[in-house]
Amino acid sequence: MAALSRNAKTALILASIAAAWFVALVLKYWVMGA
Amino acid sequence: MSAVVDTHGHGHEHGHGDQHGGYGGIMRWVTTTNHKDIGTMYLWFSFTMFMVGGVMALVIRAELFSPGLQVVDPDFFNQMTTMHGLIMVFGAIMPAFVGFANWLIPMQIGAPDMAFARMNNWSFWILPFAALLLILSFFTPGGAPGVGWTLYAPLTVQMGIGMDLTIFAVHLLGMSSIMGSINIVTTILNMRAPGMTMLRMPMFCWTWLITAYLLIAVMPVLAGAVTMTLTDRHFGTSFFNAAGGGDPVLYQHIFWFFGHPEVYIIALPAFGVVSQVIPAFSRKPLFGYASMVYATAAIAILSFIVWAHHMYTVGMPLTGQLFFMYATTLIAVPTGVKVFNWVATMWKGSLSFETPMLFAVGFLFLFTLGGFTGLVLSLVPIDIQVHDTYYVVAHFHYVMVAGALFAAFAGVYFWLPKWTGKMYDETLGKWHFWLTMIFFNVTFFVQHFLGLAGMPRRIPDYPLMFETWNKLSSIGAFGFGLSQLLFLYVVLKCIRSGAKAPAKPWEGADSLEWTHLPTPAPYHTFDPQPDLR
Repeated sequence: MAALSRNAKTALILASIAAAWFVALVLKYWVMGA
Repeated sequence: MSAVVDTHGHGHEHGHGDQHGGYGGIMRWVTTTNHKDIGTMYLWFSFTMFMVGGVMALVIRAELFSPGLQVVDPDFFNQMTTMHGLIMVFGAIMPAFVGFANWLIPMQIGAPDMAFARMNNWSFWILPFAALLLILSFFTPGGAPGVGWTLYAPLTVQMGIGMDLTIFAVHLLGMSSIMGSINIVTTILNMRAPGMTMLRMPMFCWTWLITAYLLIAVMPVLAGAVTMTLTDRHFGTSFFNAAGGGDPVLYQHIFWFFGHPEVYIIALPAFGVVSQVIPAFSRKPLFGYASMVYATAAIAILSFIVWAHHMYTVGMPLTGQLFFMYATTLIAVPTGVKVFNWVATMWKGSLSFETPMLFAVGFLFLFTLGGFTGLVLSLVPIDIQVHDTYYVVAHFHYVMVAGALFAAFAGVYFWLPKWTGKMYDETLGKWHFWLTMIFFNVTFFVQHFLGLAGMPRRIPDYPLMFETWNKLSSIGAFGFGLSQLLFLYVVLKCIRSGAKAPAKPWEGADSLEWTHLPTPAPYHTFDPQPDLR
């Protein structure tokens, strides 16, 4: 169980990084323009 | 590669369906969560797409056999170049190395499987649907997009519905890559056997760990770029549409911020495979292991600050050109460290040249040549002269084909005995290598001359002065394509009627899958994990 939660935490951090990149990129050019 | 054998013989009596998920036939493959099954599916999918993309390449080369228009109309020619690039990059090369990662990473670090076995299944099964979308785009009004694999605006804004299918396919491919990468990073960081410290891991695992980080960092950027393209097409935005105040060059910056690390996403796992093969056939440990790890990391970091070397001719300040030129030439340093270490590994080794080693040495020669032409192209004054010519086409095929594909072939021949429990036909394997080596150079070496003489890429017609080299290149391409049918035959022959492989067919191989597991690898391995302390 401990290993699973450690795996889940790692995955959550990595997925958050990926999502943040995507959202930040689109929002930057949407809100602030080029 | 599908002949995974359960030598434990304990599958069904466990009662929890861990052997083939309790299914047989096609459902075994649809529902499997076993890393070996999924690795096998990735490899077969990759080979299928390699054939599809290869046929497109042959259409291109058939048209370019002679000046004038003979085989296809120019619009279809553009669709061929676009889909050839997309399919080879996203459908063939990347999935091939994810296949290797699935098969090997758990076995090399002493883990029972990947961290997220169900997500692993999903990562794979997204791919065929993405590929289907790409193929379906040919049958939409206007056909597949003819914009080039880089999907540059503003052409992408003007294409038909095939462009939307392609955008959706790129999203799916990106999701698959990100899920696969999360799985790989988590597996390597959290599931290594006791005693398998980070600096004891085989180089293949290191190169994949760094590649997975790269993928997580850049695939969302590509997803953002194509999402903005989609909203420009259908939702009234003008990110890249100059008519609405947007900037097409912005797309190029965003694309290449993804695109250059993508080159290393393809190259680094290839480096990893070669770093396993060369020591095994030199019967020596890898020279400079720690420096290999640091060089891999350095290449990955530098890959984020060189993207605009693809855009020298678009227009940028002189300081920008100088920055990207110097940063790009800097990548030659860690790459040189790697090439030096591979050669030093062979130096005074007890060398033998079975097929995997032939492909690894072929990789070493030809990838280095591709690296040198990359250095040439990194120099602004030269790049401006040869930008968008066949010199660039020759350069990146030396990196992608002679680099990544040769390494993939080396890896398949190297691990086939472990995967199938049978030996491939060494004579036929060597024939495959030499035919591939000769026809590759006949196809692509002459393209350097075409580029230096000024022949632009992505054109179906050309002046008479380019005819001779184009004819030779086309003959080479057909020879290269036919040679790969021999590869298919060698693999099928190995699976069906290969001689039984010894437990350790390569005496110099020293990673866990060779030293701690029988051949063929059992369906379930390292449960419980080995203690390596």
